[in-house]
Amino acid sequence: MWMALFASLTAFVFGVVAKGSDRQRVIYGLKVFAEFLVIAFVLGWILYFLPLR
Amino acid sequence: MVAKEINRPVAKAPGSAWLMGVAAWAIPGLGHLLQGKWARALILGGSVWAMFLIGLAIGGHLFRVGPNDQGVTAMLQLLPISANFGAGLLYIGCWLTNTGFVEQAQRVTYEYGNTFLLCAGLLNYLAMLDAFDIAAGRKP
Repeated sequence: MWMALFASLTAFVFGVVAKGSDRQRVIYGLKVFAEFLVIAFVLGWILYFLPLR
Repeated sequence: MVAKEINRPVAKAPGSAWLMGVAAWAIPGLGHLLQGKWARALILGGSVWAMFLIGLAIGGHLFRVGPNDQGVTAMLQLLPISANFGAGLLYIGCWLTNTGFVEQAQRVTYEYGNTFLLCAGLLNYLAMLDAFDIAAGRKP
């Protein structure tokens, strides 16, 4: 939940300060949001399988 | 082509643009609000304020150079301090009232809180540059 909240707030800012039309900025914001979540899940699963303890 | 782009003359920013930048840094959202960009002020300022307050609420802590930090330890504090400092008066207010500087590592959301606080400052730097560019006429 915190990850999703972080991703959404960051994506808001990135989308607003980006250049381009409104539609391009909305798509960019959504892409940033999705990338945050996907990368977090992928890294989470990689770390799960690593014997770090 | 690239050389032409690099050597392209850039119009000098007016003094008001610098003022807008400072306002945007000091109070997140204010730089856009003063320029009548209500939606941008609401989204950018709202995001930064929300991130900062949530970060404090869930146990994050702000960075500063304490009396015990010497040499390399003090140097290592400079990067996170510069990120926290981006939140403007929010950080300075916390510094003056000694709020949010206590480490609460026992809390589950401690690291999330730190990340929220650091990123609130960094995102406010982006918002500050955006307000500056708008005031300087480099962005619609």
